[in-house]
Amino acid sequence: MNNDTIIACSSGNSANVAISIIRISGNEFLKSIKNFIPVDENKLKSRKAFFTKLYDIDGSVVDEVVVVYFKGPNSYNGEDILEISCHGNKLNVQKIISIFIENCSFRLANPGEFTERALRNGKMNASQVEGLDLLLNANNIFSLKQGYSLLSGELQDDFLKLHQVYMNHKSAIELGFDFLDDIGEDGFNENFNTSLKELENLVNKLNKRASISTNGLIEPEIVLFGPPNAGKSTLFNQILGSNRAIVSPQAGTTRDYISEGISIKNNAFKIIDTAGIRFSNDSIESQGIELSKNFAQKAFFKILLVDTSTEFDYESFKNFNYDLCLITHSKYGYDGSNANFNKLLNDIGPIEPKSIAPIGPKKENCPIEPKHIAPIGPKKEDGPIEPKSTAPIGPKKENGPIEPKSIAPIGPIHSVDLLQTDIGDIVLDLVLEKFESVLDFDPILIERHSHKINKIYLNLQNYLHTLRDIDDLAIIASEFNSVGVCISELIGIVSPDDILGNIFNSFCIGK
Amino acid sequence: MEQFEFDIAIVGGGHAGFEAAHCASQFKNLSVVIVTMPEVGLASAPCNPAVGGVGKGQVVRELDHLGGIMGKLADLSGIQFRTLNESKGYAVHSTRIQIDKEIYSKNAEKLAESIENLTVLKSKVIKTSKSNDIFQIIAEDYKILAKKVVFTVGTFLNGKLHYGLDSKEGGRHETRKTDGLNSIFKDIKVNPKRFKTGTPPRLDVDTIKFKDMEVQPSDSNVESMHVLHGTFQRFIEQKNCYLTYTNVESMTVIRENKEKSPMFNGNIKATGARYCPSIEDKAYRYPDKNIHHVFVEPEGLNLKTMYPSGISTSLPIEVQQKMVNTIVGLEEAKILVPGYAVEYDVVDTTQLDSTLQLIDLPGLYFAGQVNGTSGYEEAAGQGLIAGFNAALSILGREPLVLSRNDSYIGVMIEDLVSNLRDEPYRLFTARSENRLYIREDNTALRMAKYRRSLGLYNQIDHYIDSFEESFKCYMDLLGKTLVDTRDMFYVEQNIKFDKKVSLIEVLKLSHINPIEFLQRYFAYNSLEIDYRLIKCLAISVKYSGYIAKSDEVNQKTIKLDDKPIDWSKLVSSENISFECKQRITAIKPSTFGQLRRIEGIRQATLSAVAGQYY
Repeated sequence: MNNDTIIACSSGNSANVAISIIRISGNEFLKSIKNFIPVDENKLKSRKAFFTKLYDIDGSVVDEVVVVYFKGPNSYNGEDILEISCHGNKLNVQKIISIFIENCSFRLANPGEFTERALRNGKMNASQVEGLDLLLNANNIFSLKQGYSLLSGELQDDFLKLHQVYMNHKSAIELGFDFLDDIGEDGFNENFNTSLKELENLVNKLNKRASISTNGLIEPEIVLFGPPNAGKSTLFNQILGSNRAIVSPQAGTTRDYISEGISIKNNAFKIIDTAGIRFSNDSIESQGIELSKNFAQKAFFKILLVDTSTEFDYESFKNFNYDLCLITHSKYGYDGSNANFNKLLNDIGPIEPKSIAPIGPKKENCPIEPKHIAPIGPKKEDGPIEPKSTAPIGPKKENGPIEPKSIAPIGPIHSVDLLQTDIGDIVLDLVLEKFESVLDFDPILIERHSHKINKIYLNLQNYLHTLRDIDDLAIIASEFNSVGVCISELIGIVSPDDILGNIFNSFCIGK
Repeated sequence: MEQFEFDIAIVGGGHAGFEAAHCASQFKNLSVVIVTMPEVGLASAPCNPAVGGVGKGQVVRELDHLGGIMGKLADLSGIQFRTLNESKGYAVHSTRIQIDKEIYSKNAEKLAESIENLTVLKSKVIKTSKSNDIFQIIAEDYKILAKKVVFTVGTFLNGKLHYGLDSKEGGRHETRKTDGLNSIFKDIKVNPKRFKTGTPPRLDVDTIKFKDMEVQPSDSNVESMHVLHGTFQRFIEQKNCYLTYTNVESMTVIRENKEKSPMFNGNIKATGARYCPSIEDKAYRYPDKNIHHVFVEPEGLNLKTMYPSGISTSLPIEVQQKMVNTIVGLEEAKILVPGYAVEYDVVDTTQLDSTLQLIDLPGLYFAGQVNGTSGYEEAAGQGLIAGFNAALSILGREPLVLSRNDSYIGVMIEDLVSNLRDEPYRLFTARSENRLYIREDNTALRMAKYRRSLGLYNQIDHYIDSFEESFKCYMDLLGKTLVDTRDMFYVEQNIKFDKKVSLIEVLKLSHINPIEFLQRYFAYNSLEIDYRLIKCLAISVKYSGYIAKSDEVNQKTIKLDDKPIDWSKLVSSENISFECKQRITAIKPSTFGQLRRIEGIRQATLSAVAGQYY
């Protein structure tokens, strides 16, 4: 720990901008800067803006700036802080910083150091710092919201509630040892069971939130995958409303993936067009296919495109799952007379949504049902073609957690041409619907949190197991302690070294 | 006025004082004196007539192995033996002995007389001072000079008794108080809070209908406290205890007389223990609950009084009488001695070091209820620490400090000196982080190194040496003896393994009662082994895996506990609640562990602090 005075540019300084903010943090540094910022120390009221010239060591004016002084401990990190708003030219910012470093023995702040000091001075706790990181790096409303919720301590409150409920059960156990005479055996049992139930419920709830895979949520990807020539690039262009990808009737036209950012109601997504998956001897195409498979495994929203014009290569796709299946090339017809189509339905049926994103390891937690659209109709009701309702094809029943939709008779079916149907909006609506329904679960975005919650869940399962096998309450109490240690780790009491190392590594200078 | 000189003077002859004197006087070249009130017997039991209890039984056994006297006195006067928490696991099994309080105190007096280098002076202490490393104690009848002084003045400091609306000065029923600490000894920091404790009325044994209550007989399978006594030896006649309950009527009587309760009408300002509520507390705080346990316990073989545990009260005597008579079995019970509450001063124990010596005034020790604890066992535990350390200090030897990791006494002392108590302190098993290890059965193993460090070679030392040696030897045997479970001996007990296994693996089977199995095993092999050793072996094996696991969990916490913290910075932080700040300011914790153990510190505070380590 050191208490040097540190300095850094706190606003983005990767480009020339109108205004940049340089922040100085330390204790009692005002005297050393008075040659450069000639504001009378006594007049510099805390949290009041002052307009002043900023001078170089030789007395020449460098810039005109606005300074705001925050006297510790009533500042962001508890130290004295001076914020200098200067003109945001990169060279200007560097010049000003170097004046202070060279003449006032200030030091350039390490990444995250301002916040590190806030933590050290008890201005923030570990999860607030994590929240700040999330907030500053958020690219959708939700991470922004959760970042703020952490920063303001709301999520921390949820965790503290968990700790309280843990303590309640621990107390119930202790009552059984030290106060059995007072409460009697029945009183003990009642307390024990009620408090355990409460703990179980809370842990299960949190575990559900934590089990939702979050890497997909911080920067959600929409991937288009399927056999070659199914129309992935056509759909990609249609969604983007441009001719970003080259399309042709030639199978294997897209040999590498192409990705573009897209905003759906202020949420940033990335849409990815991939190379068609097939067996290929072409080494470049093979690499593209490998990439396609990767995307198709981990993306937030997976759209499988298949077409009725060729035979479906079930073997290549049996290990994939999808959120939406689009059947294209409808001009070949969907009526029962199309042998390819009937076979296709049979073939797709078995592609089981094994672990449907964004579901984590626990199947029961699946909040989302996969969507199948077969086939896609035009969305306008006034059109000549009836819109087809979603999802007649469901996963097989044995598949467990997901209620299969009953397989309705398919029809009446009309042919749809991707190029003539405005399907982009339908797809994006579905993506948003899934995103929002995931958010309804209030998933926990920070990996450390979800990891610890999962550990709490597993420890609690172990504990429940112990309860079934062992009737020695002293052992039971001792086993229960490991649940407590995990909860302490979640809140940030035990082994914060690792947490903080991580946090500060991901910080960029000046925050 | 007669003047005496001693090495060590103990002021007070209760459980703390008597234990301190008994321990210090084991160093035969030191002279020890107890100065105590003339109207009180040595080691008297002014409240419940019992020794031991949950967490406390462990303390008595620790005392016994360290050379203390409480276990021996309890055995000699024991009229009922019980194991508490019997259904809750070996680690929390605790022995409690109902004592004949008359015999207990008489034995203490007799023993004191028999110790050559111990003198008892019955006189009230008026003033104490220190000059040139010598303490001078002025009592009503004597003047005493001593190198070390142990204060064990119980509830007598500025004591004030409450019987309903009446209150008077006194340390106990029909006993004088002593003046406040500062008038006896200047400039000693007193806990800003006064504490309060209470006791129930005593009932006339001849007026109780025992047949209407549940009988609780003495358990002959409980080991005696003192290890040199026969394992199951009883010295006097055994008596029953009885269980009955309060009911709506009892609680109504109390609720209707709320304004007459000194605790609730504002007469008593001191803090009582939440864990030991009076019957008024129960009535007013839990208005929906009317049924509470009342254990009716004999106070002695020849005493006419019975002690109704669970209805401690300071209501006016006529209300007490009315309430008692609503209880089944006590309809005609006559109160012989009224229940009452007592308020008293306690010392700020954060001013003491871990030998219970006042940091700013070396040579002066405090032990017992004056330190804000409750319970005879807690008092005796502190008495032993203060007594031995006063002696060791004169002899220029290393102090005796017990770790909280291997003893309840260690837990208690650390809790006391690192924490300003805001209510009377009682030991609970929950206070120990190492509960699976700190058990009654392995006390000899836990205390061996401490007892040895005293360098006193008595019978108890021989016992401990041989216990430890046999334990190692038999543990080795259990690990090395491979058994074939096709043998009828195992088949009969439903023990089945595919291959030969060690006895340790057999003992760990969840359906096996390890103690009974080992007893049977040794009998089957015609080996005669002491029951205490069998029990210790069996439970040690049974728990070994769990203890290892819990150690691992504890390690994580311990690592953090040693980290230094700056409490003054904490207090200036805005993120911490006012209440937490107050507590932190009072204790001034210097490590995270101390902060964590401050009662009432919020998790959020800990979390904020823990976040500072990186």
